[in-house]
Amino acid sequence: MSQSNHLEPLLRRWSKHCEFSVEDRDAIRSLPYLRKSFGKDAYIVREGERATECTVLLRGFAYRQKLLSDGDRQIISFHIPSEFVDLQNGVLGIADHNVQSLNHSEVATIPRSALLEIADRHPNIRRAMWIDTLIDSSIFREWVVNVGRRDSRTRIAHLLCELVLRLRRIGADKGGVFDFPLTQEQLADATGLTAVHTNRTLQTLRREGLIQLTSGNLSVLDWEGLREVGDFDELYLHQQL
Amino acid sequence: MNLAPAHTCGSSKISIEEPLEIFLRELQTHSPLSSDDRDAILRLPIRLRRLDAHSYLVREGDIPIHCCILVSGYAYRQKVTGDGSRQILAVCIPGDAIDFQNMFLDISDHAVQLLTRAVVADIPRDAMQELVLARPAIGVAVIHSTLIESSVLREWVVNVGRRDARARIAHILCEFAVRLESRGLASPDGFELPMTQEQLADATSLTPVHVNRVLKTLQADGLISRQRRNIQFTDWRALQEVADFNRRYLHLPGEDELAVAAI
Repeated sequence: MSQSNHLEPLLRRWSKHCEFSVEDRDAIRSLPYLRKSFGKDAYIVREGERATECTVLLRGFAYRQKLLSDGDRQIISFHIPSEFVDLQNGVLGIADHNVQSLNHSEVATIPRSALLEIADRHPNIRRAMWIDTLIDSSIFREWVVNVGRRDSRTRIAHLLCELVLRLRRIGADKGGVFDFPLTQEQLADATGLTAVHTNRTLQTLRREGLIQLTSGNLSVLDWEGLREVGDFDELYLHQQL
Repeated sequence: MNLAPAHTCGSSKISIEEPLEIFLRELQTHSPLSSDDRDAILRLPIRLRRLDAHSYLVREGDIPIHCCILVSGYAYRQKVTGDGSRQILAVCIPGDAIDFQNMFLDISDHAVQLLTRAVVADIPRDAMQELVLARPAIGVAVIHSTLIESSVLREWVVNVGRRDARARIAHILCEFAVRLESRGLASPDGFELPMTQEQLADATSLTPVHVNRVLKTLQADGLISRQRRNIQFTDWRALQEVADFNRRYLHLPGEDELAVAAI
């Protein structure tokens, strides 16, 4: 029964920008997968690993990161349920960065060979995977800009706007309140700031009445205000597709 | 590495017989293609354009009607923030596809501008879509290229996010050299990075003054030598170390050594 298929959220997300035939849908539902769970900060993928499978996030958050030789960390993206965290490895074959579970997460791992095969036989699915990776790229470009050329207040506000829109897209909006398990340290590593600076910036955004952050929840009090502070234009998320 | 192609690109001398040859070469560094597939690529309908430096190939917000390949010359991807500051996101070299993302995304999310005079080949978007959907091996090869581009972007987030100015600049030099080398565009005499210090600053999120200072110290430390824009790597190993450079993210075949090291 489709209800018990854990890939249903992936299919639902893909269906927003791709038209699938009955055969395409069946093929996605018939993909073999294994369910796994990870604790906070557990490694889902390690840099340098040969990829034998690709991972769809079912519950919880994850993040991609790279470590510098001096031990500094840069987070390069956050991921939410229904997203692949490592689709590119299906083609590239080797992981060029790490993926860690942000909180307690559940994932479905799909054998790389099964994904390549389904992409080969179903042009619509190939297109869906393609669009996923292209939107990933677009988000990376925006992150280069964010970390490279925006001040700290704008950076943090921008990142919050992005996460809010992506969570909304998968229906995770609880009336302007969102699950937000990110720590200030992780926010700092994603924006190239220090944890202290991040903390100060979040307090500013709070004081300005834009957001509220309480025990793992983010409330957006003034969306238009947050967008403006964040120099945020959602074009790069390509959600109009 | 005297980058002849960068300078002859605008002239009429360029080999126009097979302008997509260099693109094919790029695809085949990571994805073997059958002769049928190779022919299908070379048979793509194209329109060649010779353009001056600073011309826009794509503007943010454009609705794409063609995909374009850089046949010769150099370009860069960029975005401008609300307050007008510019961030360069990538440097494109001959053989790069400029806007394959626009094949399936309906609107361009950044601009691409030429660094030098260049020749580009425009392929109708429909023809390209049709080709990658009809020929899975080409589809995979093209995806592979866009995924490598994506990997480079991740590295740039790290570069501007967590490296100091010296490492940032050294990193961009290492990346440029290795990419040129991989495409057979390097020569043993060093290379010319066709970027002004202002553009380098926009690629590394520094000020031009800071870039200038860093280039001078890299030179004083014996890691590079410069004559005008011509850069030689006088100590390749040390430069990589300063840059914290590990070429894995470029997903190039072969071992980690580089012929440039012999300079």
